Amino acid sequence: MVDDQRFQTFLELSEAITGFGRVRLLGTGQAELYFATAERVVGHAIMDELLTAFADLPTRTPELLRLHLFGNEMLGDVVRNLVKLWFGGVWYQLPAIWQQAYGPAAEDGTFIPSPDAYVEGLMWVAIGAHPAGAKAPGFASWAVAPQIPLS
Amino acid sequence: MTATSHDVVIVGGGVAGSLIAKRLSHAGLKVLMLEAGPESTRSFADYNAHLDRFYAASAKGAESPWPPAVGAPQPDGGDIGTGKGYFVQRGPNQYGSTYTRTLGGSTLHWLGVSLRMLPEDFELQTRCGVGLDWPIGYSTLSPYYDQAEHEMGVSADVAQQQYHGLSFTPGYDYPMRHIPQSYSDRVLAAAVDGTRIALGDTSVAVRVRPYPAARNSIPRHSYQPRGAIDLDRRGNPYLLTIGERCEGNTACTPICPVQAKYHAGKTLVEADWRHLELRTRAVASRVLVDPASGEVQGIRYQRYERPDAPNFVEQTATGRYYVLAAHAVENARLLLASDLPGRSGLVGRHLMDHPALYAWGRSPLAVGPFRGPQSSSGIEEFRAGAFRAQHAAFRFDIGNDGWRATTGAPDTTVAQAVLQQGLIGQSLRHRLREQLGNQVRFSLAVEQLADATNRVSIDPAYRDAFGNPRPVIDYRITDYTLAGMAAALQVARQIFARAGITDCTGQDELSFPTVNYQGRNFAYHGMGHFAGTHLMGADPRQSVVDSHQRSWDHRNLYLAGAGSFPSMGTSNPTLTLAALALRIADDLIAQFPNAAGAAAQCGGL
Repeated sequence: MVDDQRFQTFLELSEAITGFGRVRLLGTGQAELYFATAERVVGHAIMDELLTAFADLPTRTPELLRLHLFGNEMLGDVVRNLVKLWFGGVWYQLPAIWQQAYGPAAEDGTFIPSPDAYVEGLMWVAIGAHPAGAKAPGFASWAVAPQIPLS
Repeated sequence: MTATSHDVVIVGGGVAGSLIAKRLSHAGLKVLMLEAGPESTRSFADYNAHLDRFYAASAKGAESPWPPAVGAPQPDGGDIGTGKGYFVQRGPNQYGSTYTRTLGGSTLHWLGVSLRMLPEDFELQTRCGVGLDWPIGYSTLSPYYDQAEHEMGVSADVAQQQYHGLSFTPGYDYPMRHIPQSYSDRVLAAAVDGTRIALGDTSVAVRVRPYPAARNSIPRHSYQPRGAIDLDRRGNPYLLTIGERCEGNTACTPICPVQAKYHAGKTLVEADWRHLELRTRAVASRVLVDPASGEVQGIRYQRYERPDAPNFVEQTATGRYYVLAAHAVENARLLLASDLPGRSGLVGRHLMDHPALYAWGRSPLAVGPFRGPQSSSGIEEFRAGAFRAQHAAFRFDIGNDGWRATTGAPDTTVAQAVLQQGLIGQSLRHRLREQLGNQVRFSLAVEQLADATNRVSIDPAYRDAFGNPRPVIDYRITDYTLAGMAAALQVARQIFARAGITDCTGQDELSFPTVNYQGRNFAYHGMGHFAGTHLMGADPRQSVVDSHQRSWDHRNLYLAGAGSFPSMGTSNPTLTLAALALRIADDLIAQFPNAAGAAAQCGGL
């Protein structure tokens, strides 16, 4: 596992924006891939800015995250993409206006970083379900109410 | 390569062709099966590569795991309404359905619904004065339904399926118990079971009922469910234990990861391979006929090595009898490409589907969608009745996967919450639970009658990469079906109201073709239920095949599949075409008085 400080900060950022804990995030097996994917698309420098902006927050409340990250013209689109990546397993092409202002990001586009990224989408966990076509809960499990995990 | 003669040449390795091949091979007949697509569904590893392809696809439509070979193109849901793709659609309405040209055919991506047709469906003209009668009735097909349900592995309880005059052989029951109803079904049933719903000037008590499904459940008696398939080191097919029970992957369409849902490959595994030769990557391009006798003399086909290349060599397969089991569209296309429109001129005509509408809403209670098989129950009350003299019958499929098919949930829900509402972290998770947890969706599949102007034809101007003509589709949804759509929506609205479900039909809808009826636009989709392109009938002037699906014009040729249906009622066609295929096999075996000896004879040639 990558244990350098930048990756650790990426993980902490991911916890804050997804509402899922580190165990769940690491358990997807996708954390390093997502970090590498985002950095490959937006570049090292913008990723650094995002991590620094996050690390500099005095507290990691939703309000401060909105103000300094999601409300930032350059970082907002990137961090929103990270949320969607964690929840849905898809990297969505950045808006054209972002590309004009902060690009070119040559590797940008809408894609699934790996087949497992789809399988590990957190949106399924969030609703007590499972991705269509994977992680089946077993025969007749669907006949009872879902269990929605808290962590 | 020298041509070897077989007893029977079968074109198409889907459900019909596989059932026939299995039965004939066990009777000792020497069978050759030609399959246009690749054989990438035979080994477990290759099948799983299709699954990975599905995971990695941005658009997860019915064909996403099953890409076509260059030489065996297929329609794709993404092409509908774009003017692109394999079909040449001449309208006025878009034909909304697709199929798969890979070994196993469309059973690779079907939902698994295995309803029998109703007795009255076979006598629609006699009983209701509309549509066409079949030359055979329910009682003729009933024993073949029994067999097909066991061949395919259908889960249901006879006690729950005796409605609208459906009768069963005394003592008969399905090979496996019914698939458990979903929690969502149970919440709905608690609210509406027994409630009377108005339709025209009558009312009907409805019930949320499990439907027969070709998905493995708890077996009855000594029945052995068939799970996933694989090839051993010598290339011999065998059954794995994985997939002997449905695990609830919620992906029947487009790919069951554990193969707990029936696909035709399972039937092929059980063929007697001493007598069956399978030739994949073999695109039938012409049926060769003796002009004097009308008898088929051979099938020309194009053999390719690489699915991604446009290169092929031409070969000819010969036998005593031939079966086209290539799909309703492909059977017609192949006959027309062979200059065999039939003396009746009806080849390709009477194309049908079940054009279907969605109705969706929010339940007052959380129902836990996106779990279980994609659906486990239906509402069957509107499949029959005197109203069929005026408008189409319909049935409801009750989804277990929220609004996925209608709005693109849950992905679109995440996107909205993040982009429009600016939600993150716990508030995003809460929002998703709230937005997705109460979604219900009905699919309203509406009957369509045989209409000679709805057709598959060919036009030399439109060809595929191998030079074969592409299907040209003329398709119109008539008032009979449109009035059925209007009635179905009205019923859906009443059921929603009784259950306290907030009707959200139309909100955030994905793009579907539309059809106008009395000032209203219905967004509809195809059900993949292609039928009617080589009608079965008692009169050679008004049909293409006889009641055994034997061609009137070519007596050593059978046309298998839903193309033979004079009407489809509201049943998904697979079970009925499977039953009919088994009947073809019996008829063929009867043509070989010494069936067991026939193979030995041919083997010595």
